[in-house]
Amino acid sequence: MSKINKAKTAGIVVETLATVLSISLIIFFLLYLADANFSEAIRGFIKSSIGGRKNAYLFTTFSKMALITGMAIAALIAFRAGLFNIGGEGQLVVGGLVSAFVGLSVADFGLLGIFLALASGMAAGAVWALLSGFLTIYMGVPLLVGSLLLNYPARYISSYLVSHPLRDVNSGLPQTFLLPKSVWLPYFQGTRLDVGIILIFLVYLFILVISQKTKYGYYSKSMGISFSFAKISGLQTKKIVFQTLALSGAIAGLVGSIAVLGIHHRFTDGMLVQPLYAWTGIIAALMVNLNVWSIPLAGFFFAAISTGAAGMERIAQVPKEIATIIQAIIILFVVGKLGSLGGASIPSGDSDHD
Amino acid sequence: MHVSLRGITVDFGNLRAVDKVSLEANAGEIHAVVGENGAGKSTIMSVLYGSNTDFSGKILCNGKKVSWSSPKDAIKAGIGMVHQHFMLVGNLTVLENIALGNESINQFGFIKFNTIRANILGIVSRYKIHIDLDELVDNLSVAQRQIVEIIKLLYRESMVLILDEPTAVLTPNERAIFFQSLKNFKAENKTIILITHKIDEVMDIADHVTVLRNGKLISSSQLEITNKEKISQEIVGEEIPRLNIKRGAYESKKILDVKDLIIKTNFTTKQAINFSINTGEIIGIAGVSGNGQTELVETLIGIRRASNGEINLLDKNVINANTQTRRMMGISFVPQDRQRDGLALGASVWENACITKVNDKKFSWGSFLRKKNMKAFSRSLIQEFNIKVNGPDALVRTMSGGNMQKLVVARELSSQCPLIIVENPTWGIDIGSIAFIHQKIMDIKSAGVAILLVSNELDEITSLSDGAFVMYEGTLSKRISKGKNFRELIGRHMLSGFNTYYSPTGSSPNE
Repeated sequence: MSKINKAKTAGIVVETLATVLSISLIIFFLLYLADANFSEAIRGFIKSSIGGRKNAYLFTTFSKMALITGMAIAALIAFRAGLFNIGGEGQLVVGGLVSAFVGLSVADFGLLGIFLALASGMAAGAVWALLSGFLTIYMGVPLLVGSLLLNYPARYISSYLVSHPLRDVNSGLPQTFLLPKSVWLPYFQGTRLDVGIILIFLVYLFILVISQKTKYGYYSKSMGISFSFAKISGLQTKKIVFQTLALSGAIAGLVGSIAVLGIHHRFTDGMLVQPLYAWTGIIAALMVNLNVWSIPLAGFFFAAISTGAAGMERIAQVPKEIATIIQAIIILFVVGKLGSLGGASIPSGDSDHD
Repeated sequence: MHVSLRGITVDFGNLRAVDKVSLEANAGEIHAVVGENGAGKSTIMSVLYGSNTDFSGKILCNGKKVSWSSPKDAIKAGIGMVHQHFMLVGNLTVLENIALGNESINQFGFIKFNTIRANILGIVSRYKIHIDLDELVDNLSVAQRQIVEIIKLLYRESMVLILDEPTAVLTPNERAIFFQSLKNFKAENKTIILITHKIDEVMDIADHVTVLRNGKLISSSQLEITNKEKISQEIVGEEIPRLNIKRGAYESKKILDVKDLIIKTNFTTKQAINFSINTGEIIGIAGVSGNGQTELVETLIGIRRASNGEINLLDKNVINANTQTRRMMGISFVPQDRQRDGLALGASVWENACITKVNDKKFSWGSFLRKKNMKAFSRSLIQEFNIKVNGPDALVRTMSGGNMQKLVVARELSSQCPLIIVENPTWGIDIGSIAFIHQKIMDIKSAGVAILLVSNELDEITSLSDGAFVMYEGTLSKRISKGKNFRELIGRHMLSGFNTYYSPTGSSPNE
């Protein structure tokens, strides 16, 4: 037995080394194309994902991690119920937008103002997700299609609103006015990291509890494994669909609110779409095989890669495009690696051993 | 083609599924491989078919050692297999399914559908098979899908045919036709390997019989030199218990009363359905699969809306209630498809055992689950129903078919409901499990539960039920009471509807 284990361990070590080597080779090749200084680029990558003066970059990574983790949780909660809600982006944008408007109009309410802005963002995200559920259940539009298509109205309605009727014209950009300081999420002392990450952590704990300990978690998981099993067992599938979408949309909306109230303090056109938070969240959720526990790790991984790539651009003058390609290659290799590890433990196709 | 498996051993992790098994099948021979679920029948066949390449031992075809890297190699060498769970694509037509993976194309790369169609029509008429080549597989009954799988092998001109439980879904008539085609194959010098649970079939048609138990070869001999009792004992390893029927004490009353029910089916005739079930009564619904039984059951449990009529459960009409309410009011249900409807394969045993019972105070507290109690309950079911599994946390996916079915039956029978609907409760499972499940059904009958038994197995209906109906093209026959001609009457109705039933020369309605 121990012999086999040793052989296995050796195999894993060799495989991992091979992976690292192939990643390095590709990166060196790309850096060579970009005519950049290798050691400077790599140092820039590491330093700006987890280093910096007073760990400033580490805090940037944390701040991004909160958003990506939030979107990953939003995707995961829907996916585990078998609902392919890929409209996280629309729900995120709607949440952020509504939060910005509410934030602008509750300047004098103190803490209550922050609460109202967050709550309205969550509600908006939930409504947007429920809309795709409504299309699915009553109009027969597949959720995959409906939720995806609803991303576009969200994106372009917000774009229109902040470019025309609600624009801060003097700022010169398509964006709303800056929010009053009273509705900004507080920072951790001496850092530029806002308390949004705590909110996401609370969401994480909440999802852990409901997925493992409650009737809802049990029902939605069962529905995700087999819809007809859920129906025949007497579960109210329609109710579970709407509950799940509302929850998923509310979490995405909250992420939008945190980005507005905690990081940017206004809603700028494209600020939630360009960094691909929603899509990165979906990849993160799939990467951990919909395991709730490991979501924050995946969130941190994706955040670090993305700030690292940005740092490489800043420090070693590697063009942004090359940095983005490097980012994508690292993600591909890691996801492929995890996929093959996970695949080994899943019994292959024929489940009916006779 | 002569095939020979020598000293085959297959391990699944720590479990030895097949242990040094050797068997030989000759051309022009029907070779039956029998054994309980988990005996290793399908596993050893997957070795021969190339879908399992992780084994030790040798495969020889016509005396030459061969090795497959995938089923493709085996198919190329003339070995074909029909699996118990069909490998068909639902949204393609019958024709497309048969041609899939073996399409003949013309010089421009287009598929020659006309040639293919002519080929298949030739096969179909040769073996007197009735099938619409342009129907979508999704719209076919289970029996028809089986036929498509078999035509697929004929079309590929396989020399060795491995058939995994081929008759599980066939009616007596279809079975007779099917056996006739097997004999035709035999005459054409093909090798037929028949995996089955049914000893009667083995006695009817096999030339050679191999018995496996717990992954080991128990016996392999010509049919003439063995007998039915010997084979049964070799399969089970002990004697099969006889059905034990007792009469419990309960008040006799009407549990289910279906009045003028019109179900939505694809059949043109819309005839009202009327029947009732009393306490301690088992009412059978027989019929060839695809005659509206599934639609009737779905209407009764509330996942299909009825056009009209009443479903009275304990004098309350539940026609507008949803499945959850009906279950709470006292209907329990064992669905026919355990893998899709009965169980969530990717979930654990306890999650499957408790899904219909979550609102019980014992299992939840407000919105929260009481997992400890759920697991303890699952453990008690595992013990009471003798389910072979690693414990409540094991994944259902890892269980064998018979044990999966026992789990579904355990959950539904433990519901304390006054009415239980069971649909094909023993499809494709081993003799031991069948006897066990039948006994459990008799036990709850004697406790006063009303039972609706929908089954394609004539034997199951006749041995368990107190009275039966036959379903044919969406309509229900008159009630046939248990009596001298019980079996014959049911059988005749299954095949030809109710016309002969009313003909002047036919026997009078046995009511």
